[in-house]
Amino acid sequence: MARKILLVDDEAGFTQLLKMNLEKSGGYEVKIENDSMQAVAAARSFMPDAIVLDVVMPGMDGGDVQAQLQTIPSLAKIPVVMLTALVDSTELSEGAVAQAGNQLVLPKPVNLSLLLRVLEEIVPME
Amino acid sequence: MEEHSIVESVLDNLPVAVFAKDATDGFRFILWNKKQEEVTTIRASKALGKADHDLFSQDSADYFRSVDEAVIKRGKLMKVPEEIIETKNGREVHLRTVKIPVHDKETGRLLVVGISEDITEQVKSLEQLERLNRHLVATNKELQETQMQLIQAEKLESIGRLAAGVAHEVKNPLALLLLGVDYLSEGIDPDDPNIATILKQMRDAVDRADRIVRGLVDFSSQRSLSREATRLSLIIEEVLLLVKHELTRSNTQVTVEIEKDLPFVYLDMSKFEQVLINLIINAVHAMSKVENRRIKIKARSESLDEVIKNEGARKREVFRTGDQVVILEIIDNGCGIAAGDAGRLFDPFFTTKATGLGTGLGLSVARRIVELHGGELTLRNRSLNRGAIARLILPTKLETGKVTPPINSSKEIDIPKEKLSP
Ligand SMILES: Nc1ncnc2c1ncn2[C@@H]1O[C@H](COP(=O)(O)OP(=O)(O)OP(=O)(O)O)[C@@H](O)[C@H]1O
Ligand SMILES: [Mg+2]
Repeated sequence: MARKILLVDDEAGFTQLLKMNLEKSGGYEVKIENDSMQAVAAARSFMPDAIVLDVVMPGMDGGDVQAQLQTIPSLAKIPVVMLTALVDSTELSEGAVAQAGNQLVLPKPVNLSLLLRVLEEIVPME
Repeated sequence: MEEHSIVESVLDNLPVAVFAKDATDGFRFILWNKKQEEVTTIRASKALGKADHDLFSQDSADYFRSVDEAVIKRGKLMKVPEEIIETKNGREVHLRTVKIPVHDKETGRLLVVGISEDITEQVKSLEQLERLNRHLVATNKELQETQMQLIQAEKLESIGRLAAGVAHEVKNPLALLLLGVDYLSEGIDPDDPNIATILKQMRDAVDRADRIVRGLVDFSSQRSLSREATRLSLIIEEVLLLVKHELTRSNTQVTVEIEKDLPFVYLDMSKFEQVLINLIINAVHAMSKVENRRIKIKARSESLDEVIKNEGARKREVFRTGDQVVILEIIDNGCGIAAGDAGRLFDPFFTTKATGLGTGLGLSVARRIVELHGGELTLRNRSLNRGAIARLILPTKLETGKVTPPINSSKEIDIPKEKLSP
């Protein structure tokens, strides 16, 4: 069964291309949500295996979405991968993967093979 | 009441020194008033009938005589704006003197009459004023420099904010482009080798743009450090691991010579690693056309006095004399620095590398980081052999060196901060 990934990012073009890439790599079913305010609702109806979340978005930012997911028992356990175009050189130098708790932060531009590896790890194929 | 002539009373109560010499009789004094006694500390009874050479030092007397003779010769009044006589008790008296040639009708003698005003106090206060003024000028200059530094820091701060904003806006479209390239790279037409080349170039272009914005942010955001006491050997070891790939790929041989018992240095490890990596990569690039690529990394400690002796007085601004410093050198046998480039190496975006190969930010970021550590970074050609030396001077005390004033640390970058906790 394909693993379900929810992409939440206000950049429609970016989400579209990421979806194409994930689907092409095989084994992923991807849903896009470009409105962060709808992200939680989308997660509730889609019930993804993992959520890929942009940090800087209008309305609710990635952190807000994440916090809200945490308050809903059925969604709290879903692993989240954060993407960010912010350059915080101390946390994300050399495209390093900054890890905090169960959450991963990857820098944009996204290294696709790294993202695929990360997803492979957090939602292994059964 | 004593009996005096009017002239005598007037002369003795004048606030200026008055004297007269007989030019027809070896310039002997024939008049010496009270104030003249005071100024010279010589009594009239001793002075009258004597010449300058009997009363003053040879130099002073010669000088007085030459003026007297000139006055007589020209037959005109002469003004001496300032002359100095030294009294017997060693005090210097500054005088403003007028000398007048007088032909005495009664006696037929030729006289030089002198009137001197004691301007010692004026001169002294003027000197003091000048000293004060010099001090003020120096203080003012210092203030201006501090202001310049603040403006510079302020500028950097706003560039930093601008850069972070631009970086964010640029990285999003770059992310999209890269995903596009990723998608197209899968299953390309093997019959058209151009496609692979184009995609590779596009990927490199995204990477380059990404490095530039990151570098710009790095350059302008180096403001604070978290420093810890560390051994230089440790950090060098780590850095060599990090650049191992570059070194083996370019077939570069590295030797490390670290003096034993080198004092600790206080470094922000990750930032300092960045400095050394930049310098080593620069060295590797500089040796691309060389047969035997060799990098020597040397570290020793020296007292700053020696450094100043060897390097000139510039360091005084950065370090205190007597301080112990650690000197780290990265020496290569590469192409060296062209004469015309020496002054620009540390300018942001200055690069001699082909477009796409260097952003020209490496050295400027490195220097900024080293200066934040209170140290100094220079790059120059080796004197005997081919190649360049990057030299770092690092303080061995935390408080040594210039500390960039913290500029309004409450000012945050305008973009929402990363939230890392769930
Ligand atoms: N070891 C060296 N020998 C000779 N020239 C050097 C050396 N290090 C630096 N340079 C010169 O200084 C220039 C600026 O160096 P800098 O590190 O700032 O930028 P870059 O190496 O060109 O690009 P970047 O480091 O941003 O990728 C280089 O392009 C090169 O001409
Ligand atoms: Mg460089």
